[in-house]
Amino acid sequence: MPVREEILRRLKSAVKIANIDRPAKPTLSEMTMNREQMIQRFQIELAAQTGVLYQVGNKEDARRILTDIIKAENLKSFIASADHIHGIHITSLCSENGIPVTFPGDFKERDTLREAAFNADAGITSADFGVAETGTIGIIFNPKHPRLISIAPPVHIAVMSVKDLYPVYENVMEKFFLNEKNIPSQFSFITGPSATADIQGIAFKGMHGPKKIFVIMMMDDS
Amino acid sequence: MRADVGKFMETARQELKNQQSQMFLMMVSLGAPLLRQIGMSSFPDPVAAESYVRAIRAEVIARMPELLEEFERSATARGAKVLWARDAAQANNMILDIARQRNVSYVMKGKSMITEEIGLNEYLISNGIEALETDLGEVITQNLSLPPFHLVGPAINVPPAKISKAFLKKGIIEKETIDPVELGGGARKYLREKFRHLQMGIVGINMAVAQTGTIINVENEGNIRLIKSSPKTLVAIMSLEKVIPTMEDAVYMTRILARNCTGQKLTTYVSMDTGPKKHDELDGPEELFIIILDNGRSAIYENHHTREILKCIRCGACLNTCPVYTKIGGYPYGSTYCGPIGQVLTPMLSGMEKTTDLYRACTLCGMCKKICPAGIDHPSLLLSYRAREIDGNKKKGKKLENAMASLVSMGMSHRWLWNLGVNMTRPLLNRFAHDGAINNIPVGVQGWFRCRDLQAMPAKTFHETWDDLQSDSVPSEKTKHMEDS
Repeated sequence: MPVREEILRRLKSAVKIANIDRPAKPTLSEMTMNREQMIQRFQIELAAQTGVLYQVGNKEDARRILTDIIKAENLKSFIASADHIHGIHITSLCSENGIPVTFPGDFKERDTLREAAFNADAGITSADFGVAETGTIGIIFNPKHPRLISIAPPVHIAVMSVKDLYPVYENVMEKFFLNEKNIPSQFSFITGPSATADIQGIAFKGMHGPKKIFVIMMMDDS
Repeated sequence: MRADVGKFMETARQELKNQQSQMFLMMVSLGAPLLRQIGMSSFPDPVAAESYVRAIRAEVIARMPELLEEFERSATARGAKVLWARDAAQANNMILDIARQRNVSYVMKGKSMITEEIGLNEYLISNGIEALETDLGEVITQNLSLPPFHLVGPAINVPPAKISKAFLKKGIIEKETIDPVELGGGARKYLREKFRHLQMGIVGINMAVAQTGTIINVENEGNIRLIKSSPKTLVAIMSLEKVIPTMEDAVYMTRILARNCTGQKLTTYVSMDTGPKKHDELDGPEELFIIILDNGRSAIYENHHTREILKCIRCGACLNTCPVYTKIGGYPYGSTYCGPIGQVLTPMLSGMEKTTDLYRACTLCGMCKKICPAGIDHPSLLLSYRAREIDGNKKKGKKLENAMASLVSMGMSHRWLWNLGVNMTRPLLNRFAHDGAINNIPVGVQGWFRCRDLQAMPAKTFHETWDDLQSDSVPSEKTKHMEDS
């Protein structure tokens, strides 16, 4: 008998225990948060993981913040998920700051993308949503938005709109994954920079993924 | 590292004297439950949250075969190749074949207990394929050939100087250091070059969603996200019980898993993969293999009592509160799974005969059962294993023990016989008493004294004391009370 059938037959022939009805799904205090509370919670949770939130009024402010980050972190090269991210023109931002940038469109295949992603000082991406509950951002990966840009470079800068900030994970799942036909090949929750505490319980950031994460939240994204 | 399950007592004695281990166990036993409690207290109703998760796990157990079939259907529909493996040998062979067919020289692995259980690294390496661990704790245990000290932090106890020596030898760092950040930095740099050129990755699975065919991994370091993004070929391996009904259940579960595991509200990364990459995506696996491995689970499932072991979500909370684990650490358990979950699971996987020390090393205090977010009753399982062993022994005939049990049973059912027995036994037994306790008797029942004393028998039985009290002139509590009022 094939292994699959053998395993399933054994499971099915075992004594059945009736499935007991579940209790009601518990509510979470975050569910009733208003916008201000969501932003505040998002910031506190992100900061607890050493992530930094910038609330910016317009794209000029965003460019100014990005320029500051480039200087402060001494970033010499970028890889970006798109040329325009929430209205910020990445090519011009980078040329103003005299740093090279690559985009997914520059690559035909995996190996060259991998080289660029592992060599870049920073990855700048859009974030599809934020979750206030834990200061989490979420990215849906697709042909226009490869996975490595937000995980391979040592710095990750994510740009999101305040309109995409939700109280709890469930809101996001409903919003983006209700339609089973459009499930992305991968989507990820990201909460702060890569972390470990595997040696002596001493915690530090930047184990394999980004050492730092910056979230730029567009407050007036129309 | 394959550890030896037969050396429980010996290793435990060594570990009790190991100051490094004792220091970390102290830290774990004090810190981890506190962090967990702080994490859980962020729920408006922590008890309700726990009950809900226990209900999800109970449902997984009740509906396991149909959920697995649904998962297989959904994952296959999304383009994943689902393979079933009966045991370690089959799973290891499948992975070796996939690696050989693709001509890869090395593979990288995300932290996964199931690949540890089946000895995948050793198998691949002995067949000429380099297998690299990527989780910092596992990089350390792999390079030092150590068994896991803790489910979550397998090398948390290893002194940095020891890590430094091993890393230096392997070329992971260039100069000696005892700074954990520098050691981690060395591993980061070393492994980045491997991630960059990786052709085949292997990950475990925290949750396999039946509804959508999605595989979910939770992690902090980002190694799993790199393994799921960089190479062309990805193998994900799960044991039967990783399946979960819906995406909504899985998302709720991440909250409880993280809080119970490390006290975090959520791990840094939760990556959810549904099928391989779409054809026009630049990264992500071109082919995704999902191996559903039995390795003894369906046999565990056949018994309605042991079935509940499969509720486990591998959070490690039971270790941190166990009065035995927090004294002896992970090494004595001699397998991938230490602490209370190891004590209930390993005997099922490795056989009851070889693991008797595991299910006896328990005070039945019930802390593991109380803290378990999945709702496993470890103490009752351990008791049933002990009973099974005794039943087995009876057939083999332990004459002295059986004779004594019959004698006690007869005495207990006849008062006069009992009193006679007591009066006869008292002087014999109390000859061995020191300060009111007996800690050894040279005949017959030494096994008892391995881990406990016997109280010396009092000079009078309860009935005799009672009779004395009745004839005593001191007024009873009740009458005294009446006089006062």
